[in-house]
Amino acid sequence: MTQTAIKAENVWKEYHIRHNLEGPSSSLKELLNAPFAKLFGRSKTVAKPLRSEAFYALKEVSFEIEHGESVGLIGRNGAGKSTLLKILSRITRPSKGKIILYERVNSLLEVGTGFNTELSGRDNIYLNGSYLGMSTQEIKQKFDEIVAFSEIEQFIDTPVKYYSSGMFVRLAFSVAVHLTPESLLLDEVLSVGDAGFQHKSMEKMKELLSSGATIVLVSHSAQTISEVCKRTIWLDKGMIQMDGPASDVVQHYIQFVNDHSIK
Amino acid sequence: MRLNNHNIPFKPIVITPPGSLDLPNFRELWEYRDLLFFLTRRDLKVRFQQTIIGVFWIILQPVIQMLIFYLILGIIAKIPTEGIPYPIFFLSGFVVWQLFSQVVNTGAYSLLSNIGVIIKSYFPRLVLPLSSTLGSLVDFFVSFLLLLVFLLANNYPITWRFLLIIPLLIITTVFSSGVGMLFGSLMVVFRDTKNFLAFILLIWMYITPIMFPISIVPEEYRILFYINPLTSLVDTYRWAFLGRGSLPRVEYFLVSFVVAVAIWFAGAIAFRSMENKIADVM
Repeated sequence: MTQTAIKAENVWKEYHIRHNLEGPSSSLKELLNAPFAKLFGRSKTVAKPLRSEAFYALKEVSFEIEHGESVGLIGRNGAGKSTLLKILSRITRPSKGKIILYERVNSLLEVGTGFNTELSGRDNIYLNGSYLGMSTQEIKQKFDEIVAFSEIEQFIDTPVKYYSSGMFVRLAFSVAVHLTPESLLLDEVLSVGDAGFQHKSMEKMKELLSSGATIVLVSHSAQTISEVCKRTIWLDKGMIQMDGPASDVVQHYIQFVNDHSIK
Repeated sequence: MRLNNHNIPFKPIVITPPGSLDLPNFRELWEYRDLLFFLTRRDLKVRFQQTIIGVFWIILQPVIQMLIFYLILGIIAKIPTEGIPYPIFFLSGFVVWQLFSQVVNTGAYSLLSNIGVIIKSYFPRLVLPLSSTLGSLVDFFVSFLLLLVFLLANNYPITWRFLLIIPLLIITTVFSSGVGMLFGSLMVVFRDTKNFLAFILLIWMYITPIMFPISIVPEEYRILFYINPLTSLVDTYRWAFLGRGSLPRVEYFLVSFVVAVAIWFAGAIAFRSMENKIADVM
């Protein structure tokens, strides 16, 4: 029997783009100056009132994801992929519509969220893990595994500022893949580290999938999507263009991109 | 309702457009108590690791301020401090002021200074000002120890009056945290709140009886001091520390507590309403 993991109903996201490019977008100074400037009729800021234009990053997006599914989100820059992922991750809220999460959803939008370079690797594992929604107990249980996977055992109590960028990324990624989520939202974070580490990460990702976790992966890369996802949703200009088996959607998407880049 | 990994029933989460008023979700805050702990620890660790003198830094500030005001107001202007040695008088008020201004400042900046994680992960944003409040309390205990040393050195005994510090501390912390969140939510919308805040805190410090007693303020100006909730708080702290003045009635504590809680909720609601905007405006 299948169970719904994530359900989106007619989701819209509206942003306001301000066309006043002078200075900070809104400040107390402007607000307080406005009436006076008007009174004395000598203001630049008031003469040009703030023009803001509505821009829809997402339009009537609806879909349903079953538990255990692996879904890719594909689309060109500005298609609304990241906005959708941010809404699913509860970082920002929709302007219209509704999303229901039926299971615990963790998101991984960046490698090393909240890492503080002054602190040791050990401290950062706990800090980063708790940002990702892991409990202290959960982190403790997996601590050794996290350290072993990252291959930085002897530097675990060294402040992260002394790490090489490779060590940093390996540690950060290691915490992330040791999450035990029911659903995992990912934003193109697979491509970190050297080839060997990338391979290890991809294996870990497949392991997560086979453990029955629901995965939503955002990527430009048709290859990554085809490798990890069974189903793909293609977004363009904020709307769902196509939703179906990864191989079909990716093929149409590549076709579309090629057609458009020729023009 | 289905069970999650930990066999705890999982209540579906519904993500909807932001409402006009968002109340703090205490249940969720409780679920994120680990994060609250790690954030507080992070702030303390980073603060103490970056400075060579570490904890000593916390007491250096009140000591230097005390020396300056002692020189200007105690030695040069010779203002009367109700028979209390000036350094003791100053320090007994300044530790309270330091707590207040630190909670307000760090709370107000908590969204901006954590913007990196706000746009990349979900957690109840209220954890941020709450953790900075906890961190400030640690600082308070350090400067409180400094005050104790001064009190003992000047033959002020430690008595049962000190118990009063507990309710006072609760009222002060709740009130300051509310004020901090109010400024924090303003800061999301108006970036120049920064400049205002520094200025407001400066004025606020002068209308709180920290460096001079309210008794030397002319009658007609005292109202300025008494509309400031910190005035009577600082006076009551001084009663607890030094045994001067009189103990306010129980009603005073109840009213202060209710006011502090009201301010806290006002701050928390404003903060919750602004936190929805922050990921979009940054």
